[in-house]
Amino acid sequence: MGNVNINLHHVTRVEGHGNIVLNATDGTIEKCQWQVPEAPRLFEAFVRGKPYHMLSHITSRICGICSIGHSLASLKATEAAMGVEISEQTELLRKLAIHAENLQSHILHVGYLVAPDLLGVGSVIPLVGSHPDEVLKIVKLHRISNEMSDLTCGRTTHPISLDVGGFTAVPTEKQLKEMKQKLVDAIPDTKDVAGVVLANAGKLPNFTRETEYIGLVHDDEYALYDGDIGSTDTGRHPVSEYLDITNEFVVPHSTAKHTRHERDSYMVGALARFNLNADKLTPIGKEVAQLFGLKPINYNPYMNNVAQVVEFADSIAVSIDIIDKLLERGVKKEEYKVKVKAGRGISGVEVPRGILFHDYTINEKGICTKANCIIPTNQNHRNIQLDMEALAPTIIDKPQNEIELTLEMLVRAYDPCISCSTHYLDIKFK
Amino acid sequence: MNGLKIMSREEWQAFVDKLINEDARQVVGPRSKGEKFVFDQLDSADELRLDHDVTILPPKKYFLPTHEDLMTYDLKHPFNVKGTQEVEPRVIIGMHPYDIKALLQMDKIYLGDNVDTNYKARRDNTLIIASDILTVSENSFAASMDSITVGTGFDLLVTVLGDKVAVQVGSEAGQELLAKYGNATDASQDVQGQVDALRNALPSKYSKKAPSPDQWTDLLSKHQENGVWDENSKKCLECGSCTMVCPTCYCYDVDDVSSLDLKEGARMRTWDGCLLREFTLIGSGEIFREDVKERYKHRFYRKGMHLPKRYGDVACVGCGRCVSACLPDIADPSQLMDKLSQSPSDVAKHLEIPKQSVTTPVEGNLLVPEPATIRSVETLTDHEKLFVIELDSGKPLGHSPGQFVEVSIFGIGEAPISVSSAPGGNTFEMVVRKVGDVTEKLHGMKSGDKVGIRGPFGHGFNTGAMKGKNVLFICGGLGIVPARSLINFVIEHRMEYGQVMILYGCKEPSEFLFKTDSANWMAREDIQHITTVDTCREEDAGAWDGEVGLITTIMPLVTFNPEQTIAVVVGPPVMYKFVIRDLKNMGVPDDNIMVSLERRMKCGVGKCGHCQMNGVYVCKEGPVFTYKDIKDLPEAI
Amino acid sequence: MKPRVAFFDFGCCEGCQLQIANLEEDILKLLDIVEVVSFREVMKEHSDEYDIAFIEGSIERPMDEEALKEIRENAKILVALGACACIGGVNKLRGEWSVEEVRKEVYEIADPKDIEGNPYFDLLPNAKAADEVVKVDAYIPGCPIDRAEFGRVVTSVALGKTPKLPRYPICVECKKNENVCLFEQGKFCLGPITRAGCNSACPNHNSPCEGCRGYLDEPRLEAAKDVIEKYGFTLEEMLKAFNMFNFKKEGY
Repeated sequence: MGNVNINLHHVTRVEGHGNIVLNATDGTIEKCQWQVPEAPRLFEAFVRGKPYHMLSHITSRICGICSIGHSLASLKATEAAMGVEISEQTELLRKLAIHAENLQSHILHVGYLVAPDLLGVGSVIPLVGSHPDEVLKIVKLHRISNEMSDLTCGRTTHPISLDVGGFTAVPTEKQLKEMKQKLVDAIPDTKDVAGVVLANAGKLPNFTRETEYIGLVHDDEYALYDGDIGSTDTGRHPVSEYLDITNEFVVPHSTAKHTRHERDSYMVGALARFNLNADKLTPIGKEVAQLFGLKPINYNPYMNNVAQVVEFADSIAVSIDIIDKLLERGVKKEEYKVKVKAGRGISGVEVPRGILFHDYTINEKGICTKANCIIPTNQNHRNIQLDMEALAPTIIDKPQNEIELTLEMLVRAYDPCISCSTHYLDIKFK
Repeated sequence: MNGLKIMSREEWQAFVDKLINEDARQVVGPRSKGEKFVFDQLDSADELRLDHDVTILPPKKYFLPTHEDLMTYDLKHPFNVKGTQEVEPRVIIGMHPYDIKALLQMDKIYLGDNVDTNYKARRDNTLIIASDILTVSENSFAASMDSITVGTGFDLLVTVLGDKVAVQVGSEAGQELLAKYGNATDASQDVQGQVDALRNALPSKYSKKAPSPDQWTDLLSKHQENGVWDENSKKCLECGSCTMVCPTCYCYDVDDVSSLDLKEGARMRTWDGCLLREFTLIGSGEIFREDVKERYKHRFYRKGMHLPKRYGDVACVGCGRCVSACLPDIADPSQLMDKLSQSPSDVAKHLEIPKQSVTTPVEGNLLVPEPATIRSVETLTDHEKLFVIELDSGKPLGHSPGQFVEVSIFGIGEAPISVSSAPGGNTFEMVVRKVGDVTEKLHGMKSGDKVGIRGPFGHGFNTGAMKGKNVLFICGGLGIVPARSLINFVIEHRMEYGQVMILYGCKEPSEFLFKTDSANWMAREDIQHITTVDTCREEDAGAWDGEVGLITTIMPLVTFNPEQTIAVVVGPPVMYKFVIRDLKNMGVPDDNIMVSLERRMKCGVGKCGHCQMNGVYVCKEGPVFTYKDIKDLPEAI
Repeated sequence: MKPRVAFFDFGCCEGCQLQIANLEEDILKLLDIVEVVSFREVMKEHSDEYDIAFIEGSIERPMDEEALKEIRENAKILVALGACACIGGVNKLRGEWSVEEVRKEVYEIADPKDIEGNPYFDLLPNAKAADEVVKVDAYIPGCPIDRAEFGRVVTSVALGKTPKLPRYPICVECKKNENVCLFEQGKFCLGPITRAGCNSACPNHNSPCEGCRGYLDEPRLEAAKDVIEKYGFTLEEMLKAFNMFNFKKEGY
């Protein structure tokens, strides 16, 4: 029984700045906090007064990793507000883009940010020397994911060709065929990487805490681009009711807000999506889930890492299907005209870290007068806090550095995108 | 060569498809891109648009690519350079006559003296199927430029006549291609008549007209001060679009791009344009053609006066690409030449290009440096070092006084440096002032280190013309460096010259170069040597025993017969005006004054365009000029 | 001894640092020539002893200014990575409103005692680029950075060559890539006054340039005005609509 004083300032291997604080005297916990000191980004302030065709370009800058997701959420909200319809080709290409984003983000997270913990090192850099083959495979899968983004929307970070109503440029059929082949060839490497994670998955603590899981759900597919809000507690809700689901509130030790729904917190992200959509996985997705013994509903937040591996494999298969569909119907550059109309639109989209909402009000001149965004990581902060509070007492007897690592791994498991989550909301246009 | 052939449309399609599917070469032709056209790979005959009006970029991109690796280098091994040649064997279908004409113009430059072997390889491996113009671009004035039909420069020439296609054979290679993949029969006289009719109908389709090319040089000579230069250049965005899309533009820049692990890299060539502000920038930061009006004007003079005077053709084929590309609408040569022809003219001022005697021919691949080793390094001042260099081949450089070399440090770049030793021996000397990246790197090198050398380049001092005459050297600052190669040459052949006077001035004593040489010159009875500094600080006054004052102040200290004296003037740009003025006042005739000028020398052989002084290539006709030849060039002194 | 490199991020989306990860196999080449001693997003280890510091993000608060000044003291060479660090980027858009207005809007529902005097919430009047606080030795512009340009600048710094950014507009690259001009498609493009170096990324996809790399040192705004008016707009109108990256409260 001893004293524990953990003050982990700016957790490493996560996006953005967060602190873990744990103080205990003689085994009694006095303070256990997940703090977010990140500076406010103030994005909803920016979009005020901006024309509709620039909104997605601005909001994509909220995040460098989920730019595609933010762009798509923004476009969907704008299109909903102005009553703009998109073609089937546009929808297919957008789905391809969102899968590309998921692939890139998950392999980066599992391969570069989490694997070091599983293999007992500080970063991926030493792994270059000790596990060169595995690292090269991870790098290759990461590269292919980025090539898919480049192909579908110009760039992973801050996509170029996504537009209100359509695409400014589309890939050729030849390029799509080549991409499909790369994806097909990537399956063995994917399974190998899954195998490496499996071999080291024992390092992931066996910690569970019942909580609510929220994500997009759809009748026909494992929902990423479109769907209703699904909850493991309350079932389906239309996206328009997002405010009733999220219920944001402020806590003193966080510049990012917290959310709650049925319980005191809920979780979003790969594990939440898995818990809600597992039956919609493709055969290879199900195969990888089975490999890890992952079954819904899984209440271990560390399993979010495993759910990401499952989603990675699944996204490859789904992407191949989407490309097949596109090749079947042929790909053409489509002309699209947008009629400016006043209105309010709300969208829900799954980005790698969870469900994202954009809510815009646009006036008759096509100018945005009000905007609200709810970021997945915002929705996870409270869950992280409560997880820490439940986990800490069970490990308080361990050596301090082990407690530190376990808590860090907990935060990392969520794959938080902290700088996105500190960007604010509910700005009313005067 | 056989006469005209004829095919049906279907047979033509079949020919193209067969060519695409069976020939190993890449087949390219005009394809649609949005509402425009571009030359690109054809995957089927359906994609070929012989009815296109004009493409965004001319097919020059296949002969002088937008980006090309010239050589690869190995940074780990001091001198492991391999010239590379990016050649993709091709068949181009659908080149219009104006683009053929432009390509033939480009041949004069790249296949004339100093052959560009990369260009030649691509030229030799490309088969050209030209096509008569079917749709006229609204921006084109090719009819006025005599470039809407062409009789040579193609392997095959096709004319679409409704449901038939006439094919004119232009070479044996064309003949073979036609026989191999096509099914053509001899055409009747009638067909020739139809082809002629199509061509004769073209001029009336051109709403845009221009003064005929044979008038351009004259017009430009008479309108140097026309208000249009100011008026138009104010609107210029300096975006470079006009030069990028032009089929007769070919200026390029060269840069070293190294890999992230600094193990290797490539020296890459890419298109450049004289409209861009930094086109004439040198290491010291000076930009020789900085004013946008001068750059705007230069493009037209180059196309309408300088290039025709050099190669015989006005470098414009009226394709109209620049007219489309220019957002402020000021690039249109037809509009501009029209304006000039309608304005009252001034006295004609032609900017002539001096005909220099043939310089040392450059052999082999112009672009790849040869290895050389630094034999010794001597610090002369805070900023200048003297390097003794030996070519690894053991051969002498073979330069004449006044020439320069291009010194390469792979990964960093290349810089032009004057040779400051007299010819002879298997080493040569360079004095290098530290002004930019290459010279800075060079200053950090030591004996045994390797550099790359290209050259020698340029037109040097005409030592023959100086024989029997007095020689008056007037050197300012770094100007002593190239002058020294001549000074030492003259001293080696002292008996062949009359009086020898060496005047050398620099800013202050700490910048004085070649102290030992100077002392030797001072000691000789048969040389008059006077030195000066612009200013001298108190603390240096004791050690300095030369004059104090600008170089012009020591000129009166020598007396000579001006008609019998050759004045060699080398120094910073600002010096020339004043020294030459004083020489003229002393009665020295214009063609007795030799100057050595500096510009941004890059390729060294008059192709990349950076060293242009109006129509003169300083690397080719210079750096040494007779004042008479350049005194009327606005950009010279 | 390999130069030691550290990455720091301020007010940003971390997209530029992600481009380093996106070097893919080339990361191994980079690791050949430098030793990464601090890169919070990717590694646990940290050291205050570094030769080259890469800064991503804008400076939003006084506490960030202090942090950047300290980094400047530790580093021999400081490189601004990305639009936010080079020119302020999108973060400067908040300059349209005063700090009070913004704080009132954003923290209306928060407990005042958590905000008052709390350095985390102490915003500067507007976001600052890195060189508005310290001297910057090299710039890698763009939103996000272009990986080839990153390579050019980093190899230049490593070879002792002055990293040179193009001083001509996007149009040069756009024409080399044979794009159909955005103006000809009826769109407004900032290409003619924006610094090249990204290989005309956005126009390559038929999307107009938004000036994320910053304007040229001497953009020809007067000339651009005429061009815009020809298309029926005023330059001010268009710049205002497209000032995502080059926001100026006083106008142009």
